[in-house]
Amino acid sequence: MSIHNTIPGKDINGVFVDDTFAEAFGMSGTGIIITADTLKWAKIAAVTATGFGTSVIGCGAECGIDRELTPDETPDGRPGVRILIFGFSPDAIIGQVKNRIGQCVLTSPGSACYAGLEAPQQIGLGKAPRFFGDGFQTAKKLGDSRYWRVPVMDGEFVIEESTGVTTDAVGGGNLLIVGKDRAGLLETTEAAVDAIAKIDDVITPFPGGIVRSGSKVGTKYKGMFASTNDAFCPTLRGATKSELTPGTLAVLEIVIDGLTSARVAEAMRVGLKAVTDVGAKKGVTRVTAGNYGGKLGQHHYHLKDLI
Amino acid sequence: MSGYTFRLKAPSAERLDLSALTPDNLAKLGNHEISSLKVGMGRTALAVGEAFDVSGSAGDTVTIDNAASGAILDFVGAGLTAGTIRVNGNVGAYAGRKMTGGKIEINGNAGNFLASCLSGGLIHVKGNAGNNLGGILAGDRFGMIGGIVVVEGNVGARTGDKMRRGTVIVRGKTGEAAGSRMIGGTIWAEGGFGPVPGLMMRRGTLIGSGVERLLPTFVDCGNHDLVIVRVLNRYLKKTLGDLAPKPMPLFVQRIAGDMSTIGKGEILLPAT
Repeated sequence: MSIHNTIPGKDINGVFVDDTFAEAFGMSGTGIIITADTLKWAKIAAVTATGFGTSVIGCGAECGIDRELTPDETPDGRPGVRILIFGFSPDAIIGQVKNRIGQCVLTSPGSACYAGLEAPQQIGLGKAPRFFGDGFQTAKKLGDSRYWRVPVMDGEFVIEESTGVTTDAVGGGNLLIVGKDRAGLLETTEAAVDAIAKIDDVITPFPGGIVRSGSKVGTKYKGMFASTNDAFCPTLRGATKSELTPGTLAVLEIVIDGLTSARVAEAMRVGLKAVTDVGAKKGVTRVTAGNYGGKLGQHHYHLKDLI
Repeated sequence: MSGYTFRLKAPSAERLDLSALTPDNLAKLGNHEISSLKVGMGRTALAVGEAFDVSGSAGDTVTIDNAASGAILDFVGAGLTAGTIRVNGNVGAYAGRKMTGGKIEINGNAGNFLASCLSGGLIHVKGNAGNNLGGILAGDRFGMIGGIVVVEGNVGARTGDKMRRGTVIVRGKTGEAAGSRMIGGTIWAEGGFGPVPGLMMRRGTLIGSGVERLLPTFVDCGNHDLVIVRVLNRYLKKTLGDLAPKPMPLFVQRIAGDMSTIGKGEILLPAT
Protein backbone atom coordinates (compact mmCIF):
# COMPACT_ATOMS: atom_id res chain seq x y z
CA MET A 1 0.00 0.00 0.00
CA SER A 2 1.20 3.53 -0.65
CA ILE A 3 0.01 7.03 -0.05
CA HIS A 4 0.80 8.05 -3.60
CA ASN A 5 1.69 4.72 -5.12
CA THR A 6 5.44 5.34 -4.94
CA ILE A 7 6.35 4.87 -1.27
CA PRO A 8 6.03 1.36 0.13
CA GLY A 9 4.64 1.13 3.61
CA LYS A 10 1.66 0.31 5.75
CA ASP A 11 -1.33 2.19 7.10
CA ILE A 12 -1.65 1.99 10.88
CA ASN A 13 -4.77 3.62 12.35
CA GLY A 14 -4.83 6.11 9.49
CA VAL A 15 -1.13 7.01 9.78
CA PHE A 16 1.07 5.79 6.94
CA VAL A 17 4.31 4.16 8.16
CA ASP A 18 6.99 4.07 5.49
CA ASP A 19 8.84 0.85 4.82
CA THR A 20 12.19 2.42 5.61
CA PHE A 21 14.72 2.49 8.40
CA ALA A 22 16.48 4.82 10.78
CA GLU A 23 20.23 4.73 10.47
CA ALA A 24 22.14 5.27 13.70
CA PHE A 25 25.75 5.35 14.77
CA GLY A 26 27.85 3.74 17.46
CA MET A 27 28.71 6.18 20.22
CA SER A 28 30.11 6.25 23.72
CA GLY A 29 27.84 7.11 26.61
CA THR A 30 27.96 7.71 30.32
CA GLY A 31 25.43 8.12 33.11
CA ILE A 32 25.57 10.51 36.07
CA ILE A 33 23.24 10.83 39.06
CA ILE A 34 22.62 14.32 40.36
CA THR A 35 20.89 14.77 43.72
CA ALA A 36 19.86 17.79 45.73
CA ASP A 37 17.79 18.71 48.76
CA THR A 38 14.68 18.79 46.58
CA LEU A 39 13.77 17.30 43.22
CA LYS A 40 13.32 20.84 41.94
CA TRP A 41 16.97 21.67 42.55
CA ALA A 42 18.23 18.31 41.28
CA LYS A 43 16.36 19.01 38.05
CA ILE A 44 17.70 22.56 37.84
CA ALA A 45 21.26 21.23 38.10
CA ALA A 46 20.52 18.47 35.59
CA VAL A 47 18.84 20.76 33.07
CA THR A 48 21.74 23.19 33.31
CA ALA A 49 24.37 20.45 32.97
CA THR A 50 22.67 18.97 29.92
CA GLY A 51 22.06 22.30 28.23
CA PHE A 52 23.61 23.01 24.84
CA GLY A 53 23.86 19.28 24.29
CA THR A 54 21.71 18.61 21.25
CA SER A 55 24.19 17.49 18.63
CA VAL A 56 27.66 16.12 19.11
CA ILE A 57 28.80 17.99 15.98
CA GLY A 58 28.17 21.47 17.33
CA CYS A 59 27.92 20.93 21.07
CA GLY A 60 30.62 18.36 21.71
CA ALA A 61 28.16 16.00 23.32
CA GLU A 62 24.53 14.95 23.23
CA CYS A 63 22.98 15.16 26.67
CA GLY A 64 19.67 14.77 28.37
CA ILE A 65 17.78 13.67 31.42
CA ASP A 66 17.11 9.95 31.44
CA ARG A 67 14.75 9.87 34.40
CA GLU A 68 13.94 11.13 37.86
CA LEU A 69 15.10 9.02 40.80
CA THR A 70 13.32 8.47 44.08
CA PRO A 71 15.30 8.90 47.31
CA ASP A 72 15.53 5.10 47.56
CA GLU A 73 17.43 4.98 44.28
CA THR A 74 20.15 7.51 45.08
CA PRO A 75 23.36 6.99 47.06
CA ASP A 76 22.50 9.74 49.54
CA GLY A 77 18.78 9.12 49.96
CA ARG A 78 17.78 12.46 48.45
CA PRO A 79 15.72 13.00 45.31
CA GLY A 80 17.73 12.93 42.13
CA VAL A 81 17.95 12.80 38.40
CA ARG A 82 19.99 10.59 36.10
CA ILE A 83 21.51 12.30 33.10
CA LEU A 84 23.17 10.68 30.11
CA ILE A 85 26.00 12.17 28.07
CA PHE A 86 26.97 10.78 24.67
CA GLY A 87 30.05 11.51 22.58
CA PHE A 88 32.18 10.08 19.84
CA SER A 89 34.55 8.34 22.29
CA PRO A 90 35.21 8.02 26.03
CA ASP A 91 38.02 10.54 25.68
CA ALA A 92 35.65 13.02 24.06
CA ILE A 93 33.21 12.63 26.94
CA ILE A 94 35.82 13.26 29.64
CA GLY A 95 36.18 16.95 28.83
CA GLN A 96 32.43 17.41 28.52
CA VAL A 97 31.82 15.81 31.92
CA LYS A 98 34.53 17.91 33.52
CA ASN A 99 33.13 21.19 32.19
CA ARG A 100 29.44 20.45 32.59
CA ILE A 101 29.76 19.09 36.13
CA GLY A 102 32.27 21.73 37.15
CA GLN A 103 30.25 24.65 35.88
CA CYS A 104 26.67 23.48 36.27
CA VAL A 105 26.43 20.95 39.12
CA LEU A 106 29.20 22.03 41.48
CA THR A 107 27.67 25.50 41.39
CA SER A 108 24.08 24.42 42.00
CA PRO A 109 22.79 24.74 45.61
CA GLY A 110 22.76 21.53 47.62
CA SER A 111 23.84 19.34 44.74
CA ALA A 112 25.80 16.10 44.82
CA CYS A 113 26.96 13.94 41.96
CA TYR A 114 27.40 10.17 41.66
CA ALA A 115 28.19 7.49 39.11
CA GLY A 116 25.12 6.68 37.05
CA LEU A 117 26.41 3.80 34.99
CA GLU A 118 28.09 0.58 36.06
CA ALA A 119 30.60 -0.43 33.41
CA PRO A 120 34.11 -1.90 33.36
CA GLN A 121 35.53 1.21 31.70
CA GLN A 122 35.57 4.27 33.93
CA ILE A 123 36.04 7.97 33.30
CA GLY A 124 36.68 10.75 35.77
CA LEU A 125 33.68 12.41 37.36
CA GLY A 126 35.05 14.16 40.43
CA LYS A 127 38.69 13.86 39.46
CA ALA A 128 38.84 17.43 38.18
CA PRO A 129 36.08 19.26 40.12
CA ARG A 130 37.63 18.16 43.42
CA PHE A 131 40.50 20.58 42.89
CA PHE A 132 38.04 23.41 43.44
CA GLY A 133 38.55 22.52 47.09
CA ASP A 134 42.00 24.14 47.01
CA GLY A 135 43.47 21.48 49.25
CA PHE A 136 40.57 21.44 51.73
CA GLN A 137 38.88 18.60 49.81
CA THR A 138 38.92 15.15 51.39
CA ALA A 139 38.08 11.71 50.04
CA LYS A 140 36.04 8.92 51.56
CA LYS A 141 36.33 5.48 50.01
CA LEU A 142 33.36 3.22 50.68
CA GLY A 143 33.54 -0.20 49.04
CA ASP A 144 34.69 0.31 45.49
CA SER A 145 33.57 3.94 45.33
CA ARG A 146 35.60 6.98 46.29
CA TYR A 147 33.66 10.12 47.16
CA TRP A 148 35.20 13.57 47.21
CA ARG A 149 33.98 16.16 49.66
CA VAL A 150 34.62 19.66 48.40
CA PRO A 151 33.90 22.47 50.88
CA VAL A 152 31.57 25.06 49.34
CA MET A 153 29.59 27.97 50.71
CA ASP A 154 26.44 25.95 51.46
CA GLY A 155 28.26 23.00 53.00
CA GLU A 156 30.00 20.30 51.02
CA PHE A 157 29.78 19.26 47.39
CA VAL A 158 29.99 15.47 47.36
CA ILE A 159 31.05 13.91 44.09
CA GLU A 160 32.04 10.35 43.24
CA GLU A 161 35.48 10.04 41.70
CA SER A 162 34.48 8.18 38.53
CA THR A 163 31.57 6.82 36.57
CA GLY A 164 31.17 4.10 33.97
CA VAL A 165 31.34 4.66 30.24
CA THR A 166 30.18 2.33 27.51
CA THR A 167 31.21 2.17 23.88
CA ASP A 168 28.09 0.15 23.02
CA ALA A 169 25.91 3.25 22.98
CA VAL A 170 23.93 4.29 19.92
CA GLY A 171 23.22 7.80 18.71
CA GLY A 172 20.80 8.89 16.04
CA GLY A 173 17.81 6.62 16.30
CA ASN A 174 15.04 8.71 14.78
CA LEU A 175 11.43 9.11 13.72
CA LEU A 176 10.26 11.68 11.19
CA ILE A 177 6.63 12.56 11.81
CA VAL A 178 4.74 14.19 8.99
CA GLY A 179 1.48 16.12 9.33
CA LYS A 180 -0.99 18.44 7.72
CA ASP A 181 -1.71 20.38 10.93
CA ARG A 182 1.19 21.99 12.76
CA ALA A 183 -0.46 22.18 16.17
CA GLY A 184 -1.71 18.60 15.99
CA LEU A 185 1.65 17.39 14.74
CA LEU A 186 3.46 19.06 17.63
CA GLU A 187 0.96 17.64 20.13
CA THR A 188 1.40 14.13 18.72
CA THR A 189 5.17 14.39 18.65
CA GLU A 190 5.16 15.59 22.25
CA ALA A 191 3.12 12.50 23.15
CA ALA A 192 5.74 10.33 21.45
CA VAL A 193 8.55 12.07 23.37
CA ASP A 194 6.63 11.51 26.61
CA ALA A 195 6.30 7.81 25.77
CA ILE A 196 10.02 7.55 24.99
CA ALA A 197 10.86 9.30 28.26
CA LYS A 198 9.45 6.29 30.10
CA ILE A 199 12.15 4.07 28.59
CA ASP A 200 15.31 3.87 30.70
CA ASP A 201 18.77 4.44 29.28
CA VAL A 202 17.67 6.70 26.42
CA ILE A 203 17.42 10.44 25.88
CA THR A 204 15.96 12.69 23.23
CA PRO A 205 18.61 15.42 23.25
CA PHE A 206 16.94 18.14 21.18
CA PRO A 207 14.74 20.94 22.62
CA GLY A 208 11.81 19.25 24.28
CA GLY A 209 12.97 16.10 22.54
CA ILE A 210 11.95 17.42 19.12
CA VAL A 211 13.91 18.64 16.09
CA ARG A 212 12.32 20.89 13.50
CA SER A 213 15.50 21.36 11.49
CA GLY A 214 16.40 17.92 10.26
CA SER A 215 19.65 17.92 8.34
CA LYS A 216 21.21 16.18 5.42
CA VAL A 217 24.91 15.44 5.06
CA GLY A 218 26.73 18.03 2.96
CA THR A 219 26.11 21.55 1.76
CA LYS A 220 26.98 23.86 -1.05
CA TYR A 221 28.97 26.05 1.35
CA LYS A 222 32.55 25.47 2.42
CA GLY A 223 33.21 24.84 6.10
CA MET A 224 29.87 23.24 6.87
CA PHE A 225 29.16 19.55 7.26
CA ALA A 226 25.39 19.51 7.21
CA SER A 227 22.54 21.61 5.94
CA THR A 228 18.78 21.69 5.86
CA ASN A 229 17.07 18.51 4.77
CA ASP A 230 15.39 20.17 1.77
CA ALA A 231 13.64 16.95 0.74
CA PHE A 232 11.58 17.25 3.94
CA CYS A 233 11.02 21.01 3.90
CA PRO A 234 7.34 21.55 3.03
CA THR A 235 7.88 25.02 1.62
CA LEU A 236 10.30 23.58 -0.97
CA ARG A 237 7.88 20.84 -2.03
CA GLY A 238 7.65 22.05 -5.58
CA ALA A 239 11.15 23.46 -5.85
CA THR A 240 13.34 20.51 -4.88
CA LYS A 241 13.31 16.75 -5.08
CA SER A 242 10.81 16.47 -2.26
CA GLU A 243 10.00 13.44 -0.19
CA LEU A 244 6.74 14.99 0.89
CA THR A 245 3.28 14.36 -0.44
CA PRO A 246 0.78 17.09 -1.28
CA GLY A 247 -0.96 18.55 1.74
CA THR A 248 2.04 18.14 4.06
CA LEU A 249 2.42 21.21 6.23
CA ALA A 250 5.24 20.26 8.60
CA VAL A 251 7.67 17.54 9.63
CA LEU A 252 9.09 17.04 13.11
CA GLU A 253 11.85 14.65 14.06
CA ILE A 254 12.63 12.82 17.27
CA VAL A 255 16.29 11.86 17.68
CA ILE A 256 17.06 9.14 20.19
CA ASP A 257 20.37 8.27 21.86
CA GLY A 258 20.65 5.21 24.06
CA LEU A 259 23.16 3.24 26.06
CA THR A 260 22.36 0.10 24.05
CA SER A 261 20.90 -0.62 20.62
CA ALA A 262 18.05 -2.59 22.19
CA ARG A 263 16.98 0.43 24.25
CA VAL A 264 17.00 2.68 21.19
CA ALA A 265 14.84 0.17 19.32
CA GLU A 266 12.42 -0.02 22.25
CA ALA A 267 12.26 3.77 22.45
CA MET A 268 11.51 4.01 18.73
CA ARG A 269 8.83 1.33 19.11
CA VAL A 270 6.95 3.16 21.88
CA GLY A 271 7.38 6.47 20.07
CA LEU A 272 5.95 5.04 16.88
CA LYS A 273 3.05 3.50 18.76
CA ALA A 274 2.25 6.81 20.45
CA VAL A 275 2.12 8.49 17.04
CA THR A 276 -0.02 5.85 15.37
CA ASP A 277 -2.37 5.62 18.37
CA VAL A 278 -3.52 9.23 18.24
CA GLY A 279 -1.84 10.82 15.24
CA ALA A 280 -4.57 10.49 12.61
CA LYS A 281 -7.01 12.56 14.67
CA LYS A 282 -4.37 15.27 15.06
CA GLY A 283 -3.54 15.60 11.42
CA VAL A 284 -0.53 13.30 11.35
CA THR A 285 -0.39 11.59 7.98
CA ARG A 286 2.83 9.67 7.93
CA VAL A 287 5.88 8.42 9.85
CA THR A 288 9.21 7.86 8.18
CA ALA A 289 12.83 7.74 9.29
CA GLY A 290 16.16 9.26 8.33
CA ASN A 291 18.95 7.26 6.82
CA TYR A 292 21.95 7.60 4.54
CA GLY A 293 21.21 4.60 2.37
CA GLY A 294 22.53 2.29 5.03
CA LYS A 295 26.14 3.00 4.21
CA LEU A 296 27.21 5.19 7.13
CA GLY A 297 25.59 3.95 10.33
CA GLN A 298 26.16 0.60 11.98
CA HIS A 299 22.64 0.38 13.36
CA HIS A 300 19.48 0.12 11.22
CA TYR A 301 16.04 0.25 12.78
CA HIS A 302 13.35 -0.77 10.28
CA LEU A 303 10.00 0.78 11.08
CA LYS A 304 8.12 -2.33 9.94
CA ASP A 305 9.92 -4.28 12.69
CA LEU A 306 8.78 -1.76 15.30
CA ILE A 307 5.07 -1.77 14.53
CA MET B 1 28.45 -24.85 52.89
CA SER B 2 30.82 -27.70 53.60
CA GLY B 3 34.26 -27.50 55.10
CA TYR B 4 36.61 -28.67 57.81
CA THR B 5 35.91 -28.35 61.52
CA PHE B 6 38.81 -28.06 63.95
CA ARG B 7 37.75 -28.81 67.51
CA LEU B 8 40.29 -27.65 70.08
CA LYS B 9 41.13 -30.69 72.21
CA ALA B 10 42.28 -28.94 75.37
CA PRO B 11 43.74 -25.60 76.40
CA SER B 12 47.16 -25.52 74.80
CA ALA B 13 50.26 -24.48 76.67
CA GLU B 14 51.76 -22.86 73.62
CA ARG B 15 50.38 -20.29 71.26
CA LEU B 16 49.19 -21.57 67.93
CA ASP B 17 49.55 -19.93 64.51
CA LEU B 18 46.42 -20.82 62.53
CA SER B 19 47.19 -18.81 59.40
CA ALA B 20 47.37 -22.05 57.39
CA LEU B 21 43.78 -22.99 58.20
CA THR B 22 42.03 -21.07 55.42
CA PRO B 23 39.52 -22.72 53.05
CA ASP B 24 41.59 -22.24 49.92
CA ASN B 25 44.80 -23.45 51.56
CA LEU B 26 43.16 -26.53 53.05
CA ALA B 27 41.59 -27.42 49.71
CA LYS B 28 45.08 -28.11 48.38
CA LEU B 29 45.95 -30.56 51.15
CA GLY B 30 45.03 -34.13 51.99
CA ASN B 31 43.78 -35.18 55.44
CA HIS B 32 47.20 -36.44 56.52
CA GLU B 33 48.91 -33.26 55.39
CA ILE B 34 46.39 -31.17 57.29
CA SER B 35 46.93 -33.19 60.49
CA SER B 36 50.67 -32.79 60.10
CA LEU B 37 50.65 -29.02 59.67
CA LYS B 38 52.79 -27.41 62.33
CA VAL B 39 50.81 -24.75 64.13
CA GLY B 40 52.58 -24.54 67.46
CA MET B 41 54.78 -21.51 67.95
CA GLY B 42 56.54 -22.87 71.03
CA ARG B 43 59.31 -25.34 71.62
CA THR B 44 57.13 -28.40 70.98
CA ALA B 45 55.74 -27.11 67.66
CA LEU B 46 52.34 -28.80 67.93
CA ALA B 47 50.78 -30.21 64.76
CA VAL B 48 47.14 -29.65 63.85
CA GLY B 49 46.29 -33.25 64.69
CA GLU B 50 47.75 -32.87 68.19
CA ALA B 51 45.86 -29.70 68.99
CA PHE B 52 42.56 -30.35 67.23
CA ASP B 53 40.10 -33.08 66.35
CA VAL B 54 39.65 -32.60 62.63
CA SER B 55 36.44 -33.53 60.79
CA GLY B 56 34.68 -32.63 57.54
CA SER B 57 36.04 -32.13 54.09
CA ALA B 58 37.30 -29.31 51.91
CA GLY B 59 34.78 -26.52 51.38
CA ASP B 60 34.26 -22.80 51.58
CA THR B 61 33.97 -22.70 55.37
CA VAL B 62 36.39 -23.52 58.17
CA THR B 63 35.00 -23.87 61.68
CA ILE B 64 37.11 -23.68 64.80
CA ASP B 65 35.15 -25.16 67.65
CA ASN B 66 35.42 -25.41 71.43
CA ALA B 67 37.64 -22.35 71.51
CA ALA B 68 36.66 -20.96 74.91
CA SER B 69 40.38 -21.08 75.72
CA GLY B 70 41.17 -19.76 72.24
CA ALA B 71 43.07 -16.70 73.37
CA ILE B 72 46.18 -18.64 72.31
CA LEU B 73 44.87 -19.03 68.74
CA ASP B 74 46.80 -16.39 66.82
CA PHE B 75 46.64 -15.39 63.15
CA VAL B 76 43.16 -16.87 62.65
CA GLY B 77 42.18 -16.08 59.05
CA ALA B 78 45.46 -14.27 58.37
CA GLY B 79 45.79 -13.83 54.62
CA LEU B 80 42.24 -15.06 53.99
CA THR B 81 41.18 -14.33 50.41
CA ALA B 82 37.74 -15.96 50.18
CA GLY B 83 35.35 -18.18 52.09
CA THR B 84 34.36 -18.06 55.73
CA ILE B 85 36.15 -18.85 58.97
CA ARG B 86 33.85 -19.30 61.94
CA VAL B 87 35.24 -19.45 65.46
CA ASN B 88 33.04 -20.65 68.29
CA GLY B 89 34.99 -19.15 71.13
CA ASN B 90 37.83 -16.67 71.40
CA VAL B 91 40.87 -15.90 69.29
CA GLY B 92 44.24 -14.48 70.12
CA ALA B 93 46.21 -11.79 68.34
CA TYR B 94 46.46 -10.92 64.66
CA ALA B 95 43.13 -12.45 63.54
CA GLY B 96 42.45 -11.42 59.94
CA ARG B 97 45.90 -9.90 59.48
CA LYS B 98 46.48 -8.99 55.82
CA MET B 99 43.15 -10.57 54.90
CA THR B 100 41.99 -9.50 51.43
CA GLY B 101 38.53 -11.06 51.17
CA GLY B 102 36.03 -13.47 52.67
CA LYS B 103 34.56 -13.38 56.13
CA ILE B 104 35.64 -14.17 59.68
CA GLU B 105 32.96 -14.68 62.34
CA ILE B 106 34.23 -14.76 65.89
CA ASN B 107 31.59 -15.82 68.40
CA GLY B 108 33.67 -14.61 71.29
CA ASN B 109 36.45 -12.11 71.92
CA ALA B 110 39.41 -11.17 69.76
CA GLY B 111 42.88 -10.25 70.97
CA ASN B 112 45.23 -7.47 69.95
CA PHE B 113 45.91 -6.43 66.37
CA LEU B 114 42.63 -7.76 65.01
CA ALA B 115 42.37 -6.87 61.28
CA SER B 116 45.91 -5.57 61.19
CA CYS B 117 46.60 -4.45 57.59
CA LEU B 118 43.18 -5.78 56.51
CA SER B 119 42.48 -4.82 52.90
CA GLY B 120 39.15 -6.53 52.13
CA GLY B 121 36.38 -8.72 53.45
CA LEU B 122 34.39 -8.63 56.68
CA ILE B 123 35.33 -9.50 60.25
CA HIS B 124 32.51 -9.80 62.74
CA VAL B 125 33.34 -10.15 66.44
CA LYS B 126 30.46 -10.90 68.81
CA GLY B 127 32.46 -9.99 71.91
CA ASN B 128 35.22 -7.49 72.59
CA ALA B 129 38.47 -6.83 70.76
CA GLY B 130 41.87 -5.85 72.12
CA ASN B 131 44.28 -3.05 71.42
CA ASN B 132 45.46 -1.84 68.01
CA LEU B 133 42.48 -3.10 66.04
CA GLY B 134 43.34 -2.46 62.38
CA GLY B 135 46.78 -1.30 63.43
CA ILE B 136 50.28 -1.85 62.14
CA LEU B 137 53.23 -3.98 63.07
CA ALA B 138 56.86 -2.98 62.69
CA GLY B 139 57.64 -2.94 58.98
CA ASP B 140 54.09 -2.22 57.86
CA ARG B 141 53.51 1.04 56.05
CA PHE B 142 49.81 1.35 56.87
CA GLY B 143 47.31 -0.27 59.20
CA MET B 144 43.94 -1.27 57.84
CA ILE B 145 43.62 -0.37 54.14
CA GLY B 146 40.15 -1.69 53.33
CA GLY B 147 37.41 -4.06 54.41
CA ILE B 148 34.97 -3.81 57.28
CA VAL B 149 35.24 -4.83 60.93
CA VAL B 150 32.21 -5.02 63.20
CA VAL B 151 32.78 -5.49 66.94
CA GLU B 152 29.67 -5.93 69.05
CA GLY B 153 31.43 -5.14 72.32
CA ASN B 154 34.19 -2.74 73.31
CA VAL B 155 37.65 -2.34 71.80
CA GLY B 156 40.99 -1.47 73.31
CA ALA B 157 43.38 1.41 72.77
CA ARG B 158 44.66 2.83 69.49
CA THR B 159 41.97 1.36 67.28
CA GLY B 160 42.78 2.16 63.65
CA ASP B 161 46.36 3.20 64.30
CA LYS B 162 47.76 4.38 60.93
CA MET B 163 44.57 3.16 59.26
CA ARG B 164 44.25 4.34 55.68
CA ARG B 165 40.93 3.00 54.36
CA GLY B 166 38.06 0.75 55.38
CA THR B 167 35.44 0.90 58.09
CA VAL B 168 35.47 -0.15 61.74
CA ILE B 169 32.18 -0.31 63.60
CA VAL B 170 32.18 -0.68 67.35
CA ARG B 171 28.86 -1.15 69.10
CA GLY B 172 30.42 -0.40 72.45
CA LYS B 173 33.14 2.06 73.32
CA THR B 174 36.70 2.46 72.13
CA GLY B 175 39.72 2.71 74.36
CA GLU B 176 41.99 5.71 74.33
CA ALA B 177 43.47 7.24 71.18
CA ALA B 178 41.16 5.62 68.63
CA GLY B 179 42.23 6.74 65.18
CA SER B 180 45.75 7.58 66.26
CA ARG B 181 47.94 8.54 63.29
CA MET B 182 44.96 7.77 61.06
CA ILE B 183 45.39 8.55 57.35
CA GLY B 184 41.88 7.71 56.16
CA GLY B 185 38.89 5.47 56.64
CA THR B 186 36.08 5.50 59.14
CA ILE B 187 35.75 4.40 62.75
CA TRP B 188 32.20 4.43 64.06
CA ALA B 189 31.83 3.97 67.82
CA GLU B 190 28.17 3.72 68.77
CA GLY B 191 29.08 3.71 72.47
CA GLY B 192 31.42 6.66 72.07
CA PHE B 193 35.15 7.25 72.12
CA GLY B 194 37.54 6.98 75.05
CA PRO B 195 40.06 9.73 75.78
CA VAL B 196 42.01 11.60 73.10
CA PRO B 197 40.62 10.10 69.90
CA GLY B 198 42.37 11.07 66.70
CA LEU B 199 45.78 11.63 68.26
CA MET B 200 47.98 12.80 65.37
CA MET B 201 45.38 11.83 62.79
CA ARG B 202 45.84 13.37 59.33
CA ARG B 203 42.63 12.40 57.56
CA GLY B 204 39.72 10.08 58.18
CA THR B 205 36.46 10.15 60.08
CA LEU B 206 35.62 9.20 63.66
CA ILE B 207 31.87 8.97 64.24
CA GLY B 208 30.45 8.39 67.67
CA SER B 209 27.82 9.18 70.25
CA GLY B 210 30.30 11.10 72.38
CA VAL B 211 33.90 11.63 73.40
CA GLU B 212 35.35 11.13 76.87
CA ARG B 213 38.05 13.78 76.43
CA LEU B 214 39.04 15.72 73.33
CA LEU B 215 42.55 16.73 72.46
CA PRO B 216 43.11 20.49 72.52
CA THR B 217 44.30 20.22 68.93
CA PHE B 218 40.78 19.46 67.68
CA VAL B 219 38.64 22.43 66.67
CA ASP B 220 34.87 22.84 66.58
CA CYS B 221 33.55 23.53 63.06
CA GLY B 222 29.91 23.75 64.09
CA ASN B 223 26.76 21.73 63.39
CA HIS B 224 26.09 20.66 59.81
CA ASP B 225 23.85 18.51 57.62
CA LEU B 226 26.56 16.55 55.81
CA VAL B 227 25.66 14.70 52.62
CA ILE B 228 28.55 12.29 53.20
CA VAL B 229 26.86 11.08 56.42
CA ARG B 230 23.80 10.18 54.36
CA VAL B 231 26.01 8.35 51.86
CA LEU B 232 27.77 6.50 54.66
CA ASN B 233 24.49 5.54 56.38
CA ARG B 234 23.12 4.06 53.17
CA TYR B 235 26.34 2.33 52.19
CA LEU B 236 26.60 0.55 55.54
CA LYS B 237 22.93 -0.45 55.53
CA LYS B 238 23.26 -1.82 52.01
CA THR B 239 26.54 -3.63 52.72
CA LEU B 240 25.96 -4.90 56.24
CA GLY B 241 22.18 -5.17 56.60
CA ASP B 242 21.40 -5.84 60.26
CA LEU B 243 25.05 -5.43 61.23
CA ALA B 244 24.97 -1.77 60.19
CA PRO B 245 25.06 0.80 62.98
CA LYS B 246 22.00 2.84 63.76
CA PRO B 247 22.03 5.72 61.25
CA MET B 248 23.70 8.87 62.45
CA PRO B 249 21.42 11.89 62.84
CA LEU B 250 21.66 14.02 59.72
CA PHE B 251 22.70 17.04 61.76
CA VAL B 252 26.15 16.46 63.25
CA GLN B 253 28.80 18.45 65.03
CA ARG B 254 32.02 18.46 63.04
CA ILE B 255 35.25 18.68 65.00
CA ALA B 256 38.33 18.95 62.79
CA GLY B 257 41.81 17.73 63.66
CA ASP B 258 44.42 16.81 64.54
CA MET B 259 45.57 20.38 63.91
CA SER B 260 49.04 19.39 65.07
CA THR B 261 49.26 17.59 61.71
CA ILE B 262 47.46 18.63 58.51
CA GLY B 263 44.10 18.69 60.31
CA LYS B 264 42.02 17.09 57.58
CA GLY B 265 40.54 14.47 59.87
CA GLU B 266 37.27 14.89 61.71
CA ILE B 267 35.20 13.70 64.62
CA LEU B 268 31.45 13.71 63.99
CA LEU B 269 29.11 13.72 66.96
CA PRO B 270 25.34 14.16 67.18
CA ALA B 271 24.63 17.89 67.01
CA THR B 272 24.09 19.49 70.38
